[in-house]
Amino acid sequence: MARVKLPIGPQHPALKEPENFTITLEGERVVDVDIRIGYTHRGIEKLMESRTYTQNLYLVERICGICSYAHVVNFTQNVEAVLGVQIPKRAEYIRTLVLELERLHSHFLWLGVAGHEIGFDTLFMYTWQDREVVQDLLELISGNRVNYAMNSIGGVRRDLSDDQRKKVLEGMDYLEKRAAYYKEVAINEKTILARAENVGILKPKIALKYSAVGPTVRASGLTMDIRRDDPYASYAEIPFDVITTDTCDVLGRIVVRVLEVFESIKIIRYLMEHLPVGEVTMKVPRKIPVGESISHTEAPRGEDIHYLRANGTERPERYKVRTPTMANLPAIAEMLKGSYLADVPIVIAAIDPCMGCMDRVLLLKEDSEKPGDLISWERLRAYGIKWYAQRGWEA
Amino acid sequence: MVVTLERITEVLHTVTPDIISKTPRRVYVSIPRTELTKTVSIIASELGAQHLSTITALDTGNVFEIMYHFLIDGIVVTVRTRTPRDDPTIDSIITIFPGAVLYEREIHDILGIVPTGHPDLRRLVLPEDWVGGYPLRKDWKPAEGEE
Repeated sequence: MARVKLPIGPQHPALKEPENFTITLEGERVVDVDIRIGYTHRGIEKLMESRTYTQNLYLVERICGICSYAHVVNFTQNVEAVLGVQIPKRAEYIRTLVLELERLHSHFLWLGVAGHEIGFDTLFMYTWQDREVVQDLLELISGNRVNYAMNSIGGVRRDLSDDQRKKVLEGMDYLEKRAAYYKEVAINEKTILARAENVGILKPKIALKYSAVGPTVRASGLTMDIRRDDPYASYAEIPFDVITTDTCDVLGRIVVRVLEVFESIKIIRYLMEHLPVGEVTMKVPRKIPVGESISHTEAPRGEDIHYLRANGTERPERYKVRTPTMANLPAIAEMLKGSYLADVPIVIAAIDPCMGCMDRVLLLKEDSEKPGDLISWERLRAYGIKWYAQRGWEA
Repeated sequence: MVVTLERITEVLHTVTPDIISKTPRRVYVSIPRTELTKTVSIIASELGAQHLSTITALDTGNVFEIMYHFLIDGIVVTVRTRTPRDDPTIDSIITIFPGAVLYEREIHDILGIVPTGHPDLRRLVLPEDWVGGYPLRKDWKPAEGEE
């Protein structure tokens, strides 16, 4: 059968972020995939080298709009490790609380997106409504719905009052009921089963081969979870289970995330009941010495790893970020091979991709343009037509 | 069987004495670039490493430093090697760790380090028609007027 190359993206109705998947098809079957990223590269790593640590604390939060806090925690942990300081316990608990609230809102968001991708928009409306409960709690605690600005180097910037603690626990009671409902839906709903079962298969061997991360590998039966493997913040003292399934398909990825919601609720309850008394921040030396540090966290999408090289000045020598979506890209290509074209959006969505997070730089100017000018629409269109024409696709 | 810090140090001592571990779950190993494939193979076969977290590269002037971060039973093992600026090549490790495919493309894209043996060194994060050099090099300056 003749092979057809189909470019999906960078602008595509099924994907909310710009990425290009060039899919080679034989009939309806995907035989090969080529992924092109970088459309939202903003040069954050380079930029960080010219910003002070305090400025970077806020810049790093803007790597991502969803798992922003995982990045901030990594950054502060790295700086604290180079300084050699141990932050107060209460601050660690509050960081863990925000990390888990972030996972809750991210998983609810994802469940809705997954529903949307398979044409089940009721699920999308339901989960996003429930997600508001988490967003309200985050706003209550930090003052912000996204980009919480909770951390300082040496602790957190806001304490948690008893009243806030009570509200968090009330929120958890509500979310637990809703999660129980979604669990029923995920396991029994025919629409989900028809679209997710045996779709986007990722065998554990392949997941390991390509160093994939997060719920994606846990749905392939692997127990990788940084919270348990290399505990940070206060995870070492909190009882929780690492959720896995062995179905290796999109359904498994749905089930893992729904069950992880229960674990997050369990963790948050534990944190609220055992919150230590004391300070939430400490004075740290202003000067960051020469040193290096690696910090990684289990972000909602999987391992998020940061590397810091400090040179003794007020600016980092090098700061490197590798987000979970990047780690999962080679695995996506494997999942798509053999799938039907119609399943491509849900298979891609099943790793919970976060492109802005992955890309990090920007250039939308041509050499000839004056500084500060953006490329005009006509020229951008001409560029697009040329780009596709070079690849044999007529506009 | 869980791989311990002692076991990691013991195995890596067969390659180099240059092993630093200041905290219990972080190990840094420095090797010459000619030893890279050998070291990475040992990490895979002897220590059973299956997860390459990422590759970090940085410009230190006359040499580029490249670090491979492996995760072995909760311990981050970083293999550090160096390559000169006037010959910025390094053996590709994708035959041992296929997960390195994008990370090697990334260091090639932003720093101009060439992983020898990598079959696909197209640009990764920069635009395909980018001619502005390697932005993560320290002597790289943005074009005038840009910041």
